[in-house]
Amino acid sequence: MQLRNMVRAFVQSDVDPQALQFNRQKFNRQLFRKCGELGLLGVTAQEQHGGSGMDAAAAVIVHEELAASDPAFCLSYLAHSMLFVNNLAQNGSEAQRARFLPAACSGDAVCGMGMSEPGSGTDVLGMSTTAVAAPGDSGSGSGSGGGGYVLNGSKMWITNGTVDGRDTGDAFLVYARTGRGPRDISTFIVERGMAGFSLGTKVEDKCGMRASMTAELVFEDVRVPRENLVGEEGGALLSMVKNLEIERLALGAISLGIARRCIDIMNKYSMERVAFGKPISSYGQVQRHIAESYAEYMAGRAYTYSIAANLDLTTHGCGLDTDAVKLYTATMGKNVADRAMQVLGGNGYVGDYQVERLWRDAKLMEIGGGTLEAHHKNIVRDLRRLQVLP
Amino acid sequence: MRVLVAVKRVVDYAVKVRVRPDKTAVELQNVKMSMNPFCENAMEEAVRLKEAKLATEIVAVSVGPKQAQETLRTALAMGADRGVHIVTDMRADQELQPLAVAKLLRTVVDEVKPDLVLMGKQAIDGDNCQTGPMLAGLLGWPQATFAAKLEVADSKKEVTVERETDTGTQKLQMGLPAVVTADLRLNAPRYATLPNIMKAKKKPIATRDAAAAGVDLAPRNKVTNVTDPPPRAAGAVVESVDDLVAKLKADGLV
Repeated sequence: MQLRNMVRAFVQSDVDPQALQFNRQKFNRQLFRKCGELGLLGVTAQEQHGGSGMDAAAAVIVHEELAASDPAFCLSYLAHSMLFVNNLAQNGSEAQRARFLPAACSGDAVCGMGMSEPGSGTDVLGMSTTAVAAPGDSGSGSGSGGGGYVLNGSKMWITNGTVDGRDTGDAFLVYARTGRGPRDISTFIVERGMAGFSLGTKVEDKCGMRASMTAELVFEDVRVPRENLVGEEGGALLSMVKNLEIERLALGAISLGIARRCIDIMNKYSMERVAFGKPISSYGQVQRHIAESYAEYMAGRAYTYSIAANLDLTTHGCGLDTDAVKLYTATMGKNVADRAMQVLGGNGYVGDYQVERLWRDAKLMEIGGGTLEAHHKNIVRDLRRLQVLP
Repeated sequence: MRVLVAVKRVVDYAVKVRVRPDKTAVELQNVKMSMNPFCENAMEEAVRLKEAKLATEIVAVSVGPKQAQETLRTALAMGADRGVHIVTDMRADQELQPLAVAKLLRTVVDEVKPDLVLMGKQAIDGDNCQTGPMLAGLLGWPQATFAAKLEVADSKKEVTVERETDTGTQKLQMGLPAVVTADLRLNAPRYATLPNIMKAKKKPIATRDAAAAGVDLAPRNKVTNVTDPPPRAAGAVVESVDDLVAKLKADGLV
């Protein structure tokens, strides 16, 4: 509660005023640093590495509150704080945490994660980026990479892939193939400035989430030292699954934030706007938009927080429900934003009332961090195993 | 130097208050409650004194229902070292009145022995502006209200307070111990950081029952009726400044 109040107050004074302006511009670096000062960037990271040592529920609260004002900024926050910071905090070695987390938690570094590729998204095991043991190494032929690895390939749709539009972000967790088997995938920390690591296509002209920078990352014979291998070689799948769970909850929380804001806006507007001599909130058609939105928002909220309360960041096991949370909340958020625009009519279609921006942002949750179809696939796969619901 | 900061739980400043249907009070059910904004200024100032190594310990005190503990946790997250909670279910906006609160706070002062008491100049629910002065009166301590600037001498024996009045800035110098009440201009309160919110959970809060404090809590004023303010009448648009002046004169307003 205290966390929510603090973040909400911060959002009202510092995040909200910049949201529309940066929607037309770019990533707000200064605001990002302020989040670092408040301890938001390392919300789930260990305290000794500059984090705040909080749990999944806290992370969900922060996402909902930030997204109620600026979903795009929140998306960049998610890529940094969940996909990089939390991922490394849970899966990295003590030395890796000590090396990368302090700067990431303070906001000095803007980081992200690379999983999708130009040719593989939902089909994540179809990735083709490779990491092979560097030539001349003392490592064995199986590629133990004693002296490092050489990365080749590219990653697409990378949030925080660039910050300024010229260079890459500061550090990324990159998944790459280290063997022939479909599950031979390893995680590497790739740092800005490594030879051969460069910014590819900048993703411009996105429908929404415009204050969040998206780009392609390109790896051409990038020499990655062995100490940048996260976990065991070939051990990426487990950490990937672990981190996908919190990622989906956090994305669900963005939809919650969007929905809550849209309900606030259409509720207020419907009381003020008069048509045929009465406030439009007295008409059944408008009442239906508002009432259904509220009920769906609360259903999504209850689901999200109940799963968050039981999500242990150090392991996995909530896959089915984190998929289902995001499946439900993503479409809920989009529908609520759509109803808000309908209630506001012409005023909803232009930027001044925020709804237009939230409406565009809301769609992303049906695509990013797992498409709806990926969630369908995963949910049915898990339900097949379950057969009978507990 | 030990600083005691009094913090009050009130209806959040952004909430549009509603009168209860029975007209006895404003509605508090399902209404967002927060720390009184002026108390945040008092708390912030105390933390700054501690950061400047002038204060060694900050004790936060709150009088109110069990949920006032959340307000104390906020104070602890901002930087107080420990809390004192005086529990009462009396409505803090009209039933529990300034004199009773001042007397309760005096018992805390007797126990904590602060060198400086910082409070908000008023709470935004009752808007009485009385508790600070009454506490100073009961203690026989010097007081400065509406503080816009506070300086503690290196000797830690006296303070200089600037207070903004309608006629200008007044500067007061007084010996410690003293009571100082904060205005909004005193500082910009910080947000509690996440690590500090976590630490605050482990800081101690001592709980006392207000009824057992040996203090007369009976209200001195009785609220007979609470009503909404009259709705604002529609305004009129005038063509020019001259028209405005003429109209104000015609209405006898200037």
